[in-house]
Amino acid sequence: MSQYVIGIDLGTTNSVLAYAPLAEETPQVQILPIPQLVAAGTVESLSALPSFLYLGTAAEAESKSLDLPWSANRDFAIGTLARRQSAEMPDRTVGGAKSWLAHSRVDRHQAILPGNAPDDVQKISPVTASRRYLEHLVAAWDSAMPDAPLAEQVVVLTVPASFDASARELTREAALAAGLPVGLILLEEPQAAVYAWLDETGDRWRKMLRPNDTLLVCDVGGGTTDLTLVGVAEENGELVLRRLAVGNHLLVGGDNMDLTLAHFVSQQFAEQGVQLDPWQSVSLWHSCRAAKEALLAEGGEATHRITIAGRSSRLIGGSKSIEIARQQAADLLLDGFFPQCALTDRPARRRASGFQEIGLPFEADTGITRHLAAFLQAHGTHGAPVRPTHLLFNGGVFKAAGLQNRLLELVGNWFAPTETGSAREKPVALPGLHDLDHAVARGAAAYGLAKQRGGLRIRGGTARSYYVGIETAGLAIPGAPRPLRALCVAPIGMEEGTEADVPSGEIGLVVGEPAQFRFFSSSTRKQDSIGDLVPHWTEEEISETDSLETTLPADDTLADDYVPVKFHARLTELGVFELWCNSTKNDQRWKLEFSVREDTE
Amino acid sequence: MHLLIALKAFFLVLFNGRLSSQVNDVLVHRSEPAGLPTAVPSQSDETPTVSSFAEKTLPAKGSSGHKPAVAKPVKPARSEALTLLAALQREGRLLDFLKEPLTDYSDAQIGAVARDLHRDCGKLVERMFNVQPLLTEAEGAAIEVPVGFDAARYRLVGNVGATPPLKGALIHHGWQATVCELPVWNGSDAAAKVVAPAEVEVK
Repeated sequence: MSQYVIGIDLGTTNSVLAYAPLAEETPQVQILPIPQLVAAGTVESLSALPSFLYLGTAAEAESKSLDLPWSANRDFAIGTLARRQSAEMPDRTVGGAKSWLAHSRVDRHQAILPGNAPDDVQKISPVTASRRYLEHLVAAWDSAMPDAPLAEQVVVLTVPASFDASARELTREAALAAGLPVGLILLEEPQAAVYAWLDETGDRWRKMLRPNDTLLVCDVGGGTTDLTLVGVAEENGELVLRRLAVGNHLLVGGDNMDLTLAHFVSQQFAEQGVQLDPWQSVSLWHSCRAAKEALLAEGGEATHRITIAGRSSRLIGGSKSIEIARQQAADLLLDGFFPQCALTDRPARRRASGFQEIGLPFEADTGITRHLAAFLQAHGTHGAPVRPTHLLFNGGVFKAAGLQNRLLELVGNWFAPTETGSAREKPVALPGLHDLDHAVARGAAAYGLAKQRGGLRIRGGTARSYYVGIETAGLAIPGAPRPLRALCVAPIGMEEGTEADVPSGEIGLVVGEPAQFRFFSSSTRKQDSIGDLVPHWTEEEISETDSLETTLPADDTLADDYVPVKFHARLTELGVFELWCNSTKNDQRWKLEFSVREDTE
Repeated sequence: MHLLIALKAFFLVLFNGRLSSQVNDVLVHRSEPAGLPTAVPSQSDETPTVSSFAEKTLPAKGSSGHKPAVAKPVKPARSEALTLLAALQREGRLLDFLKEPLTDYSDAQIGAVARDLHRDCGKLVERMFNVQPLLTEAEGAAIEVPVGFDAARYRLVGNVGATPPLKGALIHHGWQATVCELPVWNGSDAAAKVVAPAEVEVK
């Protein structure tokens, strides 16, 4: 019997756990302090667990300096200490594991992190890193609540809205391996931000929103940007919320901004003849975050002094400082990440080259506003872009009020009332969401409560449509692959808890051999319904993800060498997408799994 | 006077989420049946987060069931004061600052470092102790000192021999910690007095 609902935000740079007791009449969502190493042999409980993993040396393990209250003889550290180590010892520190989960060009089960690890370091896979962060959270909970183990509670885990089915499946796999319950619910982060806002405003939200309003959720995390549209409608006199669209996975976030400012400042230092070492670079990074917030605040300072302390014990004697002007920071950050642009502008495309280094596909265009323009345009109807009426900001980045203002101003200009157009008001920011660092975890817990008690829920179903690649029969041309068509097996908006046969011709599966299917997804093709065959598409429209496979056991009951099957799609109540092959001859069926190789650790 | 305080409390609770949950806690503790084992006294005026108090004093079963309790109380292997000093040095370089002679430097040089020290040590103190004014009245305001006051809460100067209730002007509003969440140190005995390790860059 569950006593709590638990919301977990497994972030790219920080993880947070929020919870609320189920038994209370008006449960308050609270944040669990997470014990973690902050220095060798020193454990402190903090409200967030930095998502960094430091792989220690044998000496550190022997001196027991990486031990935790619940675990002895550890040779790795997670959290604040690991984040501190990441600058000075990047080849022993794993960061950004979550971004790797969504990167389908590499095998996420392969031990590839940290990239340049020395020989004595046992590398780990992105899935294992995520599992360890979650194991830490589970252990922190279990030692704080010994009478209510996490595995027996209602747990909601958030994922970026832009995660496709395979990235979600990998997250789920890491979560189950870490000891989260099988009944684990996955929730999209921007939706969690909306739930946090609903929880914060109580019943007042019904007065703030009207039918046909459209909410634009701008969730800019440490490493990723997630865009979501939520529509407001009226049904039987009640306001209901529906998720209308989600954006693509954008690998640009607040850390990029702080590093940009830090890079600029370190150049200024270099001009004074001061070279910074890695430790000073971290402290510079933190100073730049503070500078960003101070300079881009409303009525903020005209100049901000950044001081880098000396490395030795001579603090004052070794320190150097420079001043940066508000205008310089604004030029760098606003024009670099939130540039003024027209609604018709598009992000610059990545230059395709024959040789690509293995690494994360960071955005070629860091202009979030251009991505936003493309997003609104892509989800409009009849060629007109979507017109949001309200903006909801989430992510620590928006503590710098100047960034919120820039977005509001820009979206306001895009949809300014014109003489010919409608005289509707400009989009406004929704009040609230003060706890920007913890909102996603809070919202996840609030969602868990709503699900348990029948409160308001955002509807939406799948954010993407899914396709299986089918080679067309026809005249074979020597040397050319057969043309590929995409069979739609799940349309956008497929609801949780529903399933459907995919209308198509029969597909023959060979017995005793793995059958592999290329698998694709799209966040924009709303026009496709189940069973549609798409002959042509562009890479922006439909992108390929991990392939799916199944192996039919050589079974005596099967008379033939191959079995004719049809696809059957299913979206579980927990938001897990499944694709089955149903035999057309009898009741047998086989589930398609994402192609995963054995863990090589 | 009671009415004024009640009104002030009402608005403070309405607009301050943290305070309201604290007040709620106080009320919850009060309303417990007398037969139950009572909670540790210090609990009621702390915010409901894990604190090092909680580690030493496990909350009584049944009281405030949804608060995290730490399973194994750990006896710190060294003085918590040293752990705090180490944290102030690690995050704010406080010890380096105090140990450095100021005579060689201009006020501008010291000021530049002091700003960062103020920010970093300030954040730490905020996080570990969340220090708040002891009295909410503005400094300079006329206040009444309650009969039978606690001498640790009020320090009186002037005509201290007057008949209670005493009236006077608030000179300094005082400070109090609302939490006490120190890191826990579990290193070796040999390292118990190390406040900051020596740093070596291996070539």
